[in-house]
Amino acid sequence: MRKDIISKISYVVCGAANVACGQILKGLIFLGIEISYILFMILTGFERLRGLITLGENVQGMAFNEELGIYEMSAGDNSMLILLSGVVTVVITIAFILFWLFTISSGRAALNRAKEGKHNNNFIEDIRSLANKNIRFLFLSVPVVGLGVFTVMPLIYMILMAFTNYDSNHQPPGNLFDWVGIKNFITLLSTSDRLSATFWPVLGWTLIWGFAATFSCYFGGMFLAMIINSKGIEFKKVWRTIFVLTMAIPAFISLRVVATMLGEKGIFNVLLQQWGFTNSALPFLSNGTWARFSVIIVNFWIGVPVTMLMVSGILMNIPGELYESAKIDGASPFMMFRKITFPYMWFVTTPYLISNLISNFNNFNTIYFLTAGEPLTLNYYKGAGKTDLLVTWLYKLTKDSNDYNLAATIGIIIFVISAIFTLVSFSRSNALKNEEGFS
Amino acid sequence: MNRTVIGLNLKYFFHSIVATLLMFTGLFLPYASINDGRKNILSIALSLTGVNEKSGLTLFMYLTIVFTIMSFVLCVANIIKTTKLSFKTWQVLQACATAFWTFLLFSSKSILEGGNLVKGFLNKNLSIGYWLGFVFAYVALVFIMRVTQTNRGYIALTIMSVIWVFPILWIVLTALRAEPGYYVGYFFPKHLTLDNFAKLFAADSVIPFAKWWLNTFIVAMCACVINTLIILATSYILSRTRFAGRKAFMNILMIIGLFPGFMSLIAVYNILKGLGINQSLFALIVVGAAGAAMGYHVSKGFFDTIPRAIDEAAIIDGASRLQIFTHITLPLSKSIVVYQALGAFLAAWSDYIFPSMLFGDKQSSYTVAVGLYWLTDFRRIDAYYTQFAAGAVIVAIPIVILFVWLQRFYVEGLSGSVKG
Repeated sequence: MRKDIISKISYVVCGAANVACGQILKGLIFLGIEISYILFMILTGFERLRGLITLGENVQGMAFNEELGIYEMSAGDNSMLILLSGVVTVVITIAFILFWLFTISSGRAALNRAKEGKHNNNFIEDIRSLANKNIRFLFLSVPVVGLGVFTVMPLIYMILMAFTNYDSNHQPPGNLFDWVGIKNFITLLSTSDRLSATFWPVLGWTLIWGFAATFSCYFGGMFLAMIINSKGIEFKKVWRTIFVLTMAIPAFISLRVVATMLGEKGIFNVLLQQWGFTNSALPFLSNGTWARFSVIIVNFWIGVPVTMLMVSGILMNIPGELYESAKIDGASPFMMFRKITFPYMWFVTTPYLISNLISNFNNFNTIYFLTAGEPLTLNYYKGAGKTDLLVTWLYKLTKDSNDYNLAATIGIIIFVISAIFTLVSFSRSNALKNEEGFS
Repeated sequence: MNRTVIGLNLKYFFHSIVATLLMFTGLFLPYASINDGRKNILSIALSLTGVNEKSGLTLFMYLTIVFTIMSFVLCVANIIKTTKLSFKTWQVLQACATAFWTFLLFSSKSILEGGNLVKGFLNKNLSIGYWLGFVFAYVALVFIMRVTQTNRGYIALTIMSVIWVFPILWIVLTALRAEPGYYVGYFFPKHLTLDNFAKLFAADSVIPFAKWWLNTFIVAMCACVINTLIILATSYILSRTRFAGRKAFMNILMIIGLFPGFMSLIAVYNILKGLGINQSLFALIVVGAAGAAMGYHVSKGFFDTIPRAIDEAAIIDGASRLQIFTHITLPLSKSIVVYQALGAFLAAWSDYIFPSMLFGDKQSSYTVAVGLYWLTDFRRIDAYYTQFAAGAVIVAIPIVILFVWLQRFYVEGLSGSVKG
């Protein structure tokens, strides 16, 4: 009977159960955290949550100061900061709810142990258990706090932004922005507006790029790895190192270098003319179609060594007997590739391929450092170019034109695309798990 | 032709002979259409001997002829008496001939124009003689390699390595080039110098490269230590312990990971501003460390492959979980530790988007990635191109050394602790 009451009290007064079971310090710490949260909410929290609904009401402007008899600048509400602090409050509240659930379960456990007559840890023993049974609290606290503050919170903030009209015309502190519901999605996806006329081609190119980049590197890397690992090639390590060189050079350097080499007066054009292949400079990066091919080829140059390294390990795992018996049966090398190597590789690397596909849809570096999305075209919404992926366009929208709402909307759309591919990958790998494995 | 020679696969002997003969006839067929009709390569080479100021590349043409003839001679010699040694010699000569036929594709213009034989030459003017020689040089080489049972992969590997190394060679040569400027019309620099490197570090330099390098080094070292610890700790917990909410935590991480990371950079920037640490290296380190846990997959997969029985045995012996982590798991996972540390270092070393947004125009805080990108802006590229190249080389060298040295761990880390 007494236990019930204490446990009910501890729903309201955190740590009551712990104190009752002799864990006084622990209970007091719980109570302290609860009190500080309540104080925070009373002092500023509710005000902030209310701001989240209105996003500010006073526009910055000239207000008449009656005492001085002049017009003076009145600071308006800054919608962006209001939104941000609202999000902070929401995250703190969520964290508190989780903490509250934790105190309840901790209190209940303590009561149960007391009832069964077992020993309840005192504070020192609790601290010690951090290194043993409760090591997860020790090891995960830093990552969880870090993720909460610098990843989850900003993410919620940006997701909310997709439902506002925070674009270049509504820039705080001069102007307020407000909630607009799913208007941004509708403009982007369905209307025959300039924006959707930009969005669909960019999405199309993102998909084409993702598949072309992933599969060209996949097959190129597999081909290279098969050559290097085949019998009769000496100095395997030297060959591998030559190709790993391109992988070891930081991408921003090799991509910038290649971009300058592909310019109108860059070394490729100079050499092609000197070697007599062409009379005039080729528009590697300045013509839309050429540029699209160029980025895929340069990505091939960068990506093949990566795949080669990864595939090397897997190739060595294929049982050699398979090849020997195939050889005795008179199979040609191509036949062996088609019937042994490729099915095996395909089986092992499907999850890798799909995650690679997703990361290629979001391959900011290659596009941004090579072409920065150029060549620009007048058919597209401001700033977007022929080689822009959704991510590079998103970046330009935040950095150059300050259309944060559009950027956030695109971010959510990218999330949806990635999520679809991940789900496909999951369902596939579950199907594979149920099989006996490759045989 | 039913001879057998040990170590040779004479099935393709006949093919090699035919291909070599066809390549050889390429010498006598028209090489290129030039002003006064079509001439074969031999007569062009003869007429070039008379010219005084010819291109140095003319040597390629002579060597092509010499090696083709020598390969033909060896072919005849092998018909008369087939031995392993003479076949190997034939293979080497044919490889040289093939290489020079290929070089001719790139140097014909210079050779013919240098000898004043033709103006405005393009490779489409090359005629049947050249293409016959070029194609059958490769065909003959493939067949000869089949006879000597050499792996044909060497041909592909050679061509691919040239393509892969070409841009790297270009940047190294540019870094050593004495003539400034981006628009130069030649590949090999006229004068070599180390000035570009010296200028980067000179006290009066416009580019605070030493500062940039130091900034990057500090950030990358901190990231290397902190991020690796965080990743290892997270993946250890997710792999070795079971607790309520573990699956949920992993799912949340996965969902977060599906959003494009820099979508929220603006918000991160505002939070940093609120904390009063924007525009500082510290902010870079903190934000990097905060997101590190997202990359737990690879090392979790690795820890999963370490038998749990080891842990259980240690627990029976009275070891705490922390001790198991530091004394058992980590020593067993050397390659994954190296892999993660290398990855964290590289990521911080070459990160561009966040630092560029964070530092804006505060040049003294730039990292090398931001700084070097800033140098390739179209307003600066012509003046600073050779220095940019030198900077690129300096930035790349430590990474290349690390990478080549630790390659083994990289591959091992990816393939798990248990070897197949």
